[in-house]
Formats: sequence, C-alpha cells, structure tokens
Amino acid sequence: MNPTSPANVPATQPTGPTETTLAARQAALVAALVAGAPPPPGFVPEALAATRTALLRKRAGEVARYWPLLATGLHPRWLEVFQHWAAGRPPAGAPREGWDLARYLHGAGELPPLGADELACRQAGYHYPEPGRPPRPRRLPSWGRVGGAVAIQFAGRVRLLRPARRQP
Amino acid sequence: MTGPVGVGIGWRPEIAGFVAGLPGLPFVEVIAESVPAAGPLPAELTALRERGVAVVPHGVRLSLGSAEPVDSARVAHLVAVAELTDAALVSEHIAFVRAGGLEAGHLLPLPRSREAVTAVCANVARAQAELPVPIALEPIAALFDWPDDELDEAAFLTEILDRTGAHLLLDIANVYANARNRGADPLDLLDRLPLERVAYAHVAGGAEQDGYYHDTHTSPVSRPVLDLVGELCARHRPPALLLERDGNYPPAAALRAELDALAAVGGLPVIT
Repeated sequence: MNPTSPANVPATQPTGPTETTLAARQAALVAALVAGAPPPPGFVPEALAATRTALLRKRAGEVARYWPLLATGLHPRWLEVFQHWAAGRPPAGAPREGWDLARYLHGAGELPPLGADELACRQAGYHYPEPGRPPRPRRLPSWGRVGGAVAIQFAGRVRLLRPARRQP
Repeated sequence: MTGPVGVGIGWRPEIAGFVAGLPGLPFVEVIAESVPAAGPLPAELTALRERGVAVVPHGVRLSLGSAEPVDSARVAHLVAVAELTDAALVSEHIAFVRAGGLEAGHLLPLPRSREAVTAVCANVARAQAELPVPIALEPIAALFDWPDDELDEAAFLTEILDRTGAHLLLDIANVYANARNRGADPLDLLDRLPLERVAYAHVAGGAEQDGYYHDTHTSPVSRPVLDLVGELCARHRPPALLLERDGNYPPAAALRAELDALAAVGGLPVIT
C-alpha cells in the first residue's frame, strides 16, 4: 500500500488491484472470501482458500443449528450440499440462508421430506426473513405448503398437518 | 481493575442448564448480539444475575476494525445490553466483519499498519464515548496475514491499547492458533504483550483441518493450550479465565473437568 494515502479518502474510486484505501482493500478482501471475487494481490492464496472454507463450514453449522430438520434430512451430505450452494453467495444470516437453500433444493427436486416439513412450518409461522434479521412471526392465521407437507399457524402455534411423503 | 474475577464460562442457550448448576460460578459472558436491546434477558441469565453472577456482554459484530465509522446503532445495542446485564465491563474484537456492503460472517484480521491502528482506535473511541463501562479488546485468530504489515502483532496490539486505554481480553487459544499456523513460538507474543492490561483470558479448544489449526470452540481444550494458560499465569496471572464452547457440547462431567482444569492451572477457586 501507499503509506502516504490519507485514511479519509472515500472508497468511491474504482475498485481493483491498485486500490490503496483501507476501506476499499477490506471490501476487496471480503468479496474474495464470500462473493467469489478474485483474491486481492499479495495474499497467500492457500491461506485465503482455507479461510473461505472455514467460513463456509461455520455458516453450515449456524444454518444447521437454525434448520435442524433440513440438515438432518440431508445427512450425511449436509456439509457438502451447503458448501456447494453457499460458495460465492454472501452470508445473509442463518434464518434466511436455510430458507433460501430449502427453496432452492425444492426447486431442484432435492429437498428431503424433513426439510419440506421444516420449510412448511417456517412458512406458516414466519414472514420470509430479511438478510441478517431474525424472521418476524406472522400475526394472522396462515399456512405453509411445500411439496406434500402442509403446516398451519393459529394464534402463534404452528402445527404440521401433513408431513411430506417419505421415500418408501 | 474493573471486571470479572475467577473462572467463568461463555453462556449459551444450549448449556444454560449446565451453567445454572455451577455452584461457585462468579461470571459468564453473553454474546451481546444474542440479547434483544429492549430486553428481556433470557430467564436463565436473569436468574444468574439474581444469584450475583456477573455478566460480561461480548460483542461479535461491531466491526471496530472497519475503515468506516462503527455503526452507532450497533454501539447503542451494546450499551443497552451492558445496562440490561448491569455489566462492569464489555468486550469486543480487534477485527472487522463487514466491508463494501458484504458481511463476512466471521472476524477478519486487520493489516498491522498505522492506518489500521488509527481506524480501529477511532472506532474504539466512538464506542467508549457511549459505553457506560470500560471495554476490553480481544485479538483474534486468523489463518492469513495482510501482505503489507508494518508492525508485528505485539507492537500492533500494544499501540491500540495505549491509544485507547482499553483493557486486553487475551484469547490464549487464539495466541496458540496463530503461532502454530505460522510456525512461531506463542511465548514470544506473551513475553511482549502488556499482560497487566489483561481483564480476563479466553480459553477454548480447536481442531486441525486441511493443514491449519482452527479455533472452533467445538473441541476440548488441548494440553498445549492449557500449558499456554500456565505460561500466561506464570508471567502475570489474569484476574479471570473464561471457557468458550460453541457447539458439539460434551457431557456435563467433561465440561466440569475442563472448568476444574482451568481453575487448577490459573490458581483460581474451583466453581463446579
């Protein structure tokens, strides 16, 4: 970096390998770690790659904690499925990420029945979460349906009326 | 020094029952972002407070190391949690967690440059202006370094502590991880840090994966980490030690044994 560059230069200049402000360099690093951007120059690529993998593993753990049935339903491929889906996709918080992953898998016909049950219950109980925010509970009676799974919510209580069809 | 004394544990909802059953527990840490600013505290934490157990709110998302000014709403949240828990001390990290509108989802290291020192000190000062209690700053574990470090870790940290007047939250597992991943001697750092500034120390277990030691908080505290706690105490005994565990929770007896081991190595009262 250029040691004479003042810290208060706004980070609105074009981004690229010539960036010198701390803000721009931090942004380039985060983009490389979570959004699939190329590694900034000068960093040890293996150490950045290990960090990227560690971040994905940590996210997988957080989503599994918030979406236990989804993760259990994908066992023993949970980590592999999550990492494949999340690589290059910036973190949005476990509630939202599990929701998005379940939707994605549903669209691809790969959502396990336990995941369908869990997504149906979440749809019945909560609004689709904003990134980085906890989901807001639904106040009015509502229902969720994912594949064969049907869940209803009344007065804050969610009930799975019908589970998704299990594989024979 | 204001702050905790003795052996504590990171309070997590999953082990709230275990923590409630520790008869001699003097303090816990709670992840500040997990507590709603408007309250209420989780009932188990309220019960601990009523027992006289001190609570240290531990922030993980302030991003004091961001080049941009720290988010005042996040500072206000930490202030609110400090008041809710009647805390004597709060803690956060020397790290950044977001930039350019993206969340990293984890604590990332700063370049050890004078520019970064200035940025983090400005943010610490902004937080200190609002906080009702002192702050302790925790150096993190990182798998990589920036290519243009001007200072070494000890000089970088000492400069930040000197300029902010903050306490040090020394994570011994981080010291171990950083040294191991760089082929360095962790004692070199211990010998050069201002250990009299340590408000308390973190201790946790990690795991080797893909050729790196990761500070996961999901494994038992290893012998080398415990030995390093001993080395810390031999140089300057910190007032308090805190066990961090964030998943893969063992049976209660194993967790109690880890707390007993910390008490033994730190010469602190047994809390189990």
